[in-house]
Amino acid sequence: MILTGLLVGAALGYVLQRSRFCVTGAFRDLYLTRSTRYFTPFMLAIAIQAVGVAALTSAGVLAPEAASFAPVAVIVGGLLFGIGIIFAGGCATGTYYRAGEGLIGSWAALIFYALFAAIMKFGPLGAFTEAARSRTVGEATIQDTLGVSHWVPTVIFAGLVTALVVWQVRRNAGRPRAALPARRTGLGHYLADIPWSPWVGGVLLGLLAIIAWVTSTASGRNGGLGITTPSAKIVTYLTTGDITLVDWSVMLVLGILVGSFIAAKLSGEFRWRVPDARTILRSVGGGALMGVGAALAGGCTIGNSLVETSLFSYQGWVSLVAIVLGTWGAAWLLMVRPQKAAAASRPAPTLTPAA
Amino acid sequence: MAAYTLETNGAVCPFPLIDAKQAMEQLSTGDDLIIGFDCTQATDSLPQWAAESGHEVVAFDRTGDAGWTITVRKGV
Repeated sequence: MILTGLLVGAALGYVLQRSRFCVTGAFRDLYLTRSTRYFTPFMLAIAIQAVGVAALTSAGVLAPEAASFAPVAVIVGGLLFGIGIIFAGGCATGTYYRAGEGLIGSWAALIFYALFAAIMKFGPLGAFTEAARSRTVGEATIQDTLGVSHWVPTVIFAGLVTALVVWQVRRNAGRPRAALPARRTGLGHYLADIPWSPWVGGVLLGLLAIIAWVTSTASGRNGGLGITTPSAKIVTYLTTGDITLVDWSVMLVLGILVGSFIAAKLSGEFRWRVPDARTILRSVGGGALMGVGAALAGGCTIGNSLVETSLFSYQGWVSLVAIVLGTWGAAWLLMVRPQKAAAASRPAPTLTPAA
Repeated sequence: MAAYTLETNGAVCPFPLIDAKQAMEQLSTGDDLIIGFDCTQATDSLPQWAAESGHEVVAFDRTGDAGWTITVRKGV
């Protein structure tokens, strides 16, 4: 039953669009605006998924297998992916849901991301990727190294995240912010009018990640949410006609496009938006870097930073740190340095007196 | 009190926010900055920035499909 992938993907696209959930922004803004506004909800999503998957594993429903740890490939791949998502203006899921909102730049990033992931996984560089990823060391997960139950890191991490959530909620309490005027009433007001808070986004992302594990496993694919491999599979299927490549995960990524399009359309937030040539070129280059980086690292901000982290694998956490550092480096290059330099490549914004 | 417009349509996030911050530095307390934008994420980041920096949002609305305008009055 690979069609459940389409439903989970559509729900995911809908949630991401309504909550403006951007993992790139979450990582980037730790440095750029010193903000954890989206980072903490993302950690919450990991924690929710970790608890759910741990429980379902103990119950015998799931049998997740964490990826073996290939440090060089994971670190280099994570850094490249982190740089790529800043240039592309969104991570893998971010690019999918923005494409669904009608951003032409995101379509450019998406096509090159999928193409380069296919080159690295199924194309001429497949052997190189395999060789890089076969240089593994030690155990795959933290609990394997420590020789403890998977519940130990799960409970410790969930406790840490709970403290972080409480701190952030208290800090933001009593700080009013402007909201858009309502256009719908009743249920529609909540579903397709007001933006959802990052907390709602994070909780639903964590729950959907658990549902993904269950439905994907039922379809014969032992895995959770994943974006890069299915993107590469779509390109390879379209060029070879090999139907065996079309699985639950391919349905999932197509579903994200559909779900975010529906969310944006219902909320009056869909429009074909054409960026300037510079943004298109950045998106193309960023997309290519994302494809190469995610293939080397064995996953993107979803496959590694959300899913492998919840299994407490070294690949998940080391690549998360590498991706974060990559976004900081690229944010400095693209966003901080031009502002500081007197002869910035981006001209200062022009202000005109309003009539 | 003067009012200025800043058009960021076509710019992807976080550039509308970066431009808004830079523009705000040129303004005096009580001046209005009217920002036009079409990046969805800025519907979150711009009011959040205003709330955190002590600026007042005097208007915030849609201008059409996937288009918004926000008027931010510079705080002290």
